[in-house]
Amino acid sequence: MSLRLSRRAALAAALGLPLSARAFGDNARFVPAVIQHAGKWDTRISGLRRLAWDLQRRTSIEVLLDVRPMPLENPKLFEQPFLYLSCDGPLPPFKQAEVEALRRYLTYGGFLFVDAVDLSDASGFDSSFRHELSRVLPQSPLEPLPMSHVVFKSFFLLDAAPGRALNKPNLEAALLNKRSAVMYSQNDVIGALNRDESGTYEYDAMPGGERQRELAARMAINIVMYAMCLDYKDDAVHLPLIMNRRR
Amino acid sequence: MESQAVDTWKVVSLSPLPVWALMLLVVALVLGVVLAAWGVRKEPSRVRRGLLWALRLAAGVVAVIFLLEPGVRRMQVAKVKNRVAVLVDRSASMSFPTTPGGPSRSQSVADALDALAPQIDALKDRYSFDFFGVDPELAPISVETIRAQPPTAGRTDLLSVIRALKAEESASTRKLAGVLWLSDGADNTDLAQGITPRAKAGLKDLGVPVSTVAVGQGGLKDLAIDAVRVDDFAFVRNSVTAEVEVHARGFGGKSVPVVLRREGQTVATKNVQFVEDEDTQVVKFTFTPDQTGRFVYTVSMPVFADEAVAENNSRSFSLKVIRDRVRVLLVAGRPTWDERFLRGLLRQDANVDLISFYILRNTNDESGAYDERSELSLIPFPHEEIFHTKIATFDVIMIMNFGNEDRGVALTAYDRDLREYVNNGGALAYVGGDRSFGDSSAAVNPFADVLPVEAAGNADLSVFRPRLTPEGLRHPITALVTGTTSTSSAWDELPPLPGANMTRAKAGATVLLDHPFAVVAGKSAPVLAIWEYGRGRSLALMTDSSWYWAFTSHVNGAPSRSYERFWNNAIRWLVRDPELTTLGVTADPPSVEPGKPVSISVVARTPDYQAAPGALIEIELRSADDGRVVGSQQVIAGSDGTMRIEFPPPPPGAYKIVGKASKDGRSLGESTDAVAVRAVGPELADARVNTQLLKDLAAAAKGTFFDSPGAISLNKVPLNEPPLVEVGRSKDQPLWDRWYWLALMVTIVGAEWALRRRFGYI
Repeated sequence: MSLRLSRRAALAAALGLPLSARAFGDNARFVPAVIQHAGKWDTRISGLRRLAWDLQRRTSIEVLLDVRPMPLENPKLFEQPFLYLSCDGPLPPFKQAEVEALRRYLTYGGFLFVDAVDLSDASGFDSSFRHELSRVLPQSPLEPLPMSHVVFKSFFLLDAAPGRALNKPNLEAALLNKRSAVMYSQNDVIGALNRDESGTYEYDAMPGGERQRELAARMAINIVMYAMCLDYKDDAVHLPLIMNRRR
Repeated sequence: MESQAVDTWKVVSLSPLPVWALMLLVVALVLGVVLAAWGVRKEPSRVRRGLLWALRLAAGVVAVIFLLEPGVRRMQVAKVKNRVAVLVDRSASMSFPTTPGGPSRSQSVADALDALAPQIDALKDRYSFDFFGVDPELAPISVETIRAQPPTAGRTDLLSVIRALKAEESASTRKLAGVLWLSDGADNTDLAQGITPRAKAGLKDLGVPVSTVAVGQGGLKDLAIDAVRVDDFAFVRNSVTAEVEVHARGFGGKSVPVVLRREGQTVATKNVQFVEDEDTQVVKFTFTPDQTGRFVYTVSMPVFADEAVAENNSRSFSLKVIRDRVRVLLVAGRPTWDERFLRGLLRQDANVDLISFYILRNTNDESGAYDERSELSLIPFPHEEIFHTKIATFDVIMIMNFGNEDRGVALTAYDRDLREYVNNGGALAYVGGDRSFGDSSAAVNPFADVLPVEAAGNADLSVFRPRLTPEGLRHPITALVTGTTSTSSAWDELPPLPGANMTRAKAGATVLLDHPFAVVAGKSAPVLAIWEYGRGRSLALMTDSSWYWAFTSHVNGAPSRSYERFWNNAIRWLVRDPELTTLGVTADPPSVEPGKPVSISVVARTPDYQAAPGALIEIELRSADDGRVVGSQQVIAGSDGTMRIEFPPPPPGAYKIVGKASKDGRSLGESTDAVAVRAVGPELADARVNTQLLKDLAAAAKGTFFDSPGAISLNKVPLNEPPLVEVGRSKDQPLWDRWYWLALMVTIVGAEWALRRRFGYI
């Protein structure tokens, strides 16, 4: 829902007077937490930081800008309902305790977003991740998400799921009780936001260039919005307006 | 037993063999005959073939005689005099006149029975006549009693009469030869719609002819509400249809208004057009209850001067209006994990209809969209619609981390609507966060008035574990499990929370959870507080981390349902789930027949929801039309906090039951219910004579139908013949042990053998 900019609020915004907003403790905010595993888990830290910054700037979500590494066996895992997983190359197998912890995490409400940062398909990260997920959620295989899924309208209206690449048109998801508990992109969504130390984007967005990068940022925002609001934008009250805008 | 002994005889089998053995042997004989016939089937001469068949058949017959050992039983028997049951309907409808201004139906039965006396005398040597009044149990009755005592039975149940007859027949030593049944046929139970297979089976099982006599005639003018078909309960704000079956006699071509009222207030009026002189019409009233509770509705038609029965022109029914699904409005100041887990819970609850609005973007956020209208899925926040126009349609409003946001979205214009909403019975749950309880901007919190707490400075961000107060230990909201010890343990097991809004409880608020170390004005800061505001209720939870109970609590793997239970309990308490009220008053039954007392069951609980033994309970029975108190009683609750109260039969109408309870001078709350006292029972609701049912009964029981008591002729009444009963010793004389049977057998077998040899078969 958008809010009409009142004159006073516009004045406050113009004067740079931020609304006093401080959630109770860091965990009440959106924290970009990354699964820390035995492989190269930290290649998208700057992209996640950028995502958090975008969320803070573009939406009402309160965020913590610092990325939080999170081993699956850490008890603090259950204070972070959002997790990000990637690996540059094949994903090392999870230990059994990690498998069980991740299964419990997802079952009781946690959300996992996964990027194939190596843009692999049926090899590399892609095949290893699919194998690990089949250990974690053997009853919930990944399925392509239709464009009618709420994640494509949870904040921005989108008609594709781009990352820094556009290899696959769709996201995939593993469902638990009709909730997409795991979302998986083979287009490296967060990679589109990654910057190097000099502040320039680390990867070109192909083939769409900067427009595609912006769409990837929007996709990432929508994914977080879905994690935090679930199917809110599927409520009947939103449908007429969204249908009208999509025409 | 009256009898006349005579000598008689009959042929019997004297064989000592059991029947099955005899049957087997007979079958073997038949096979022998068939095989013999089969053996000569190719015999070209028809004469020879026929001769051989005949001889083998004759041998078989003689063999059967040897097997069965026939004999003659000579005995002395008597003919027993049988009974004829004359049943007289004693239901109240038999007091209606047979014709306008004529004698009552009951009177006409008495006259007819008097007139029947000579015919009964004529059959005395074979039958005895027993007279029974039917109400619907059978009781001996005389013509004098029929004349002297008006019929009063409250129902006509012809199926029960058949059963009672069967029971009576089984208990009697004398056989029933037949039944003569005088009734108006106005069954108002199982056979109201006509004869059923069960009734037919019952009559068949009875095994005697049943003749019926229709008592009463048409010609009476009457309007009657025969039936009101409506569910026992309806859902609030959902339409419900009551089908009213209206019967009119003598109103052909006339239009009559039918009015539906709820406790004195007209809900709807419809005109019903009667086409024929005897006509039944169904009038449908579709209405939408707007409040929960039990209400008495009355359907009525005007009473015309020459009607046979005035009381059957109206009928009351009780309707319990319940919630279909709790309609919850969830407004969140921004997406948070608290909002996400509560949404997940509410969306899974089939009893909740969730309408939600989240602020996804603040006024100072920059979406980065080139064209926000086409690129964003956001909709305008419909303040006016949800907090003014449609606010009354919500059962519970849940506000999460919202109220003290920037003035661009502040709801100060709606504080009056919110106050009225709760004051008029609405429910508010207000959940904490940095935008709640005055912890953020200086904007006035529009929810402040209706909350049980008031803001008391900035939030305390220390990690803490909420502590149950003595009130919380027994309150249904915080009862995560059954029993106070278990409840306390369940709260101790929940993970600590990362911070709390600082508030102080208002006078009259009940604090269920407090902070273990944060203090406001010398008292522990409340974490969960509730109170009643006008007719409504509100709850304040001073944290935005209740989601820890849903998610973080599972860190060790043990499943926990504490979060679900907490919020389910909270919603049930907010919407005043009947199981969570401190005083329960229930009319039992909710519709009372005329002349019956009004019974009420009462359950009193203390504010901590324990039984309230010794509580003073005051119950008033008030007219729902004008509020006049018809009766009042004061009683003391029993050891389990319950009590049953009975009011003497009040006049027909709709009544509200208003209960109050107190203990040690402290109020335990109020409760209301409703009860309908009917003007007439089902028996007097309909003056018609159901001749068709009586005809069908007679046809099913192989009896005769008479269309009036004056038409009865006992000669036309089928009656079973009296049975013969053996009264002396019997003597058996064998017929089979004669020499000539054996000679015949030997001759036949020998002849067949000789012929077969001659014909070349041996």
